[in-house]
Amino acid sequence: MTDGEQREALVRRAEDEREEIVKRYELGLDPTNIVDPWENPTFEIYHITDKYGFMHDSRLPTTRNSQEMQLTKIELERDKKWMKMLAKWPPPQDKLHTRVYKGIPKAVRWPAWKKLLNVDQSIANNVGVYPRMLQLAKKYSTETRQIDADVNRQFRDNLAYRERYSIKQCSLFNVLNAYSIYNSELGYCQGMACVAGVLLLFMQEEEAFWALNTLMTDQKYGMHGLFIEGFPKLTRFIDHHDRILSKIMRKLHKHFTKHNVDALLYAIKWFFVVFVERVPFSLSLRVWDIFLLDGDRVILAMAITILYLHKDELLRMKDMDAIIEYLQVKLHKNFGYSDDDAIHALERVMKKLKDLKLDAPPPAKSNEFPTRTLGDFVEADMEKKIGRRRNDYTDTEKQVITDVISRQEQNAIDVQSTVSYETSECATVTLTVPEDSHSIRSSLAGTSVASHGSSETMSLEDNNIHLKTANMLQSTPQREMLLGT
Amino acid sequence: MATTPRSGGAGSGTAQRPNGTSQNKSCQFKLVLLGESAVGKSSLVLRFVKGQFHEYQESTIGAAFLTQTICIEDTVVKFEIWDTAGQERYHSLAPMYYRGAQAAIVVYDIQNQDSFQRAKTWVKELHKQASPNIVIALAGNKADLSNIRVVEFDEAKQYAEENALLFMETSAKTGMNVNDIFLAIAKKLPKNDGANNQGSSIRPNGNETNRPTNNCCK
Repeated sequence: MTDGEQREALVRRAEDEREEIVKRYELGLDPTNIVDPWENPTFEIYHITDKYGFMHDSRLPTTRNSQEMQLTKIELERDKKWMKMLAKWPPPQDKLHTRVYKGIPKAVRWPAWKKLLNVDQSIANNVGVYPRMLQLAKKYSTETRQIDADVNRQFRDNLAYRERYSIKQCSLFNVLNAYSIYNSELGYCQGMACVAGVLLLFMQEEEAFWALNTLMTDQKYGMHGLFIEGFPKLTRFIDHHDRILSKIMRKLHKHFTKHNVDALLYAIKWFFVVFVERVPFSLSLRVWDIFLLDGDRVILAMAITILYLHKDELLRMKDMDAIIEYLQVKLHKNFGYSDDDAIHALERVMKKLKDLKLDAPPPAKSNEFPTRTLGDFVEADMEKKIGRRRNDYTDTEKQVITDVISRQEQNAIDVQSTVSYETSECATVTLTVPEDSHSIRSSLAGTSVASHGSSETMSLEDNNIHLKTANMLQSTPQREMLLGT
Repeated sequence: MATTPRSGGAGSGTAQRPNGTSQNKSCQFKLVLLGESAVGKSSLVLRFVKGQFHEYQESTIGAAFLTQTICIEDTVVKFEIWDTAGQERYHSLAPMYYRGAQAAIVVYDIQNQDSFQRAKTWVKELHKQASPNIVIALAGNKADLSNIRVVEFDEAKQYAEENALLFMETSAKTGMNVNDIFLAIAKKLPKNDGANNQGSSIRPNGNETNRPTNNCCK
């Protein structure tokens, strides 16, 4: 075979593969669409499924306690208020703010999220675009295989996605496949299935497509920059996250540095999917409500809130694996605070960051947003069609690697200075009298850790600014709600 | 404000601590899993660490971190495992995880020829970029589906021999060879002269007591 023939054969193979996958989704639940037995679960589900459709390991309680009854009552009241508010959109900003922070009731999340993401307007402005993208995707998308692999494992513990080729699985596949053509520069990146998967729990297919587009390309959310090659927004947000930590939670920052807990290790998933599967689902929805209202700085604030609420436990952990496991696994299972308490804390952290002028990261560079016109169809090049991996890194990727490595090296230097400080001087003092910020600060003078400090930090620590959260104190009376200690 | 750390707080994060008997030697190794998307990297780790298998293992965003401790004769070996995302776009983050790693498992799916080619690329990159003494194992996963295999056992074995890799076909689903491959790696790793004490991402030996340290076999 000549080179040309071989290439053609490879293209044909890629086309056949795509056609086969697309066909399976078109058949959907049709009985002729035979799936392997393992692709569909048969377990009994009725007693283990929560109100969001997620299935748990054991049976959920059949009766509800008085507190839950009370919450249902409140939610019913809120439903009514929201219905009125949605009918007279847009509402006054302060009213909307208050209500969103209280949590959008489950029953109105569909219309409310659509309003916040301007979905109906997008659909009206783009009549016919989604079906066209869908058609093009079926023929030309080069991301079909990866999307198929991820749809097959996204939220499989949720009723909506549980069955292979169920309606929602097909919608998820369609939305992602179509979007990979619509925003061809971005294509598909792992993590987007989770974002679209959440949207589809509350929306119809085409609505979710436009909602996804708003999240990716609107200045307010800018998730394009998170998922695009080189992850420019991730780097920018991680740097800002570090900056905040070093200014208002210096002890924890130092602790993380000492144990090699780089923010990249815990924050990628936080940022990419806005805390889904890293905090309980109900809480992640509350964060999404606020994210949709106030935009991407909410993500930074929530990251700080999580660390702040759990800093006592984190400071007690003496190695990296305990810390990472706590942040990656434990908080998803049990956050330790009620959703309301966590959101109250988030609100206060947001206010505090604003007061300190730390709420907004440095502005985005142009590479965080699409440069090609959305919806303009560009046929993929040969390498992409074949699905061949590049052997070399692109320049963007090389830059990422350099950045990542220099972060690690800087971290190693910081560790060294921390260690030498602890071993040479007063290790026991640090361990047993951890709360005297003055002595820590003076002991640290001259180390690179101390050089991150600023006068702002000092004043924050000296003033012992309180985050008063009555409910939070109630649920965990032993906690001290102090920022920066 | 000054909360006294609870007693036992230092050990509360991990279940598998050596019991501190002084004759036990202990080592700690950083291991990274690399390979094409959906070949079963996370499933291998889940099987090894928790003895479980999820048919719908969620896709890994960024990376996940787990630990597992095993005993070889009188040595307690603790693996710090970095399980990475497989999609090409995440490739540029991989050096963060394999830098300073003493071991790597490069995984492919025996039903998927592309994933085998991809595994070779990973091996090449590790030889070029990772620590020179890194122990690399090649795992041909989904071996329970060997009746529909595409990558022949002998082909992979020969490649592994030529490149001085450990090689096993594994099945995260049935558990076949999963513990074995980690055990084989543990056996091959140096356990006596602090040779694993290289690489920038090894944490420094802090003030903690009663825990394994990276300075091996004290």
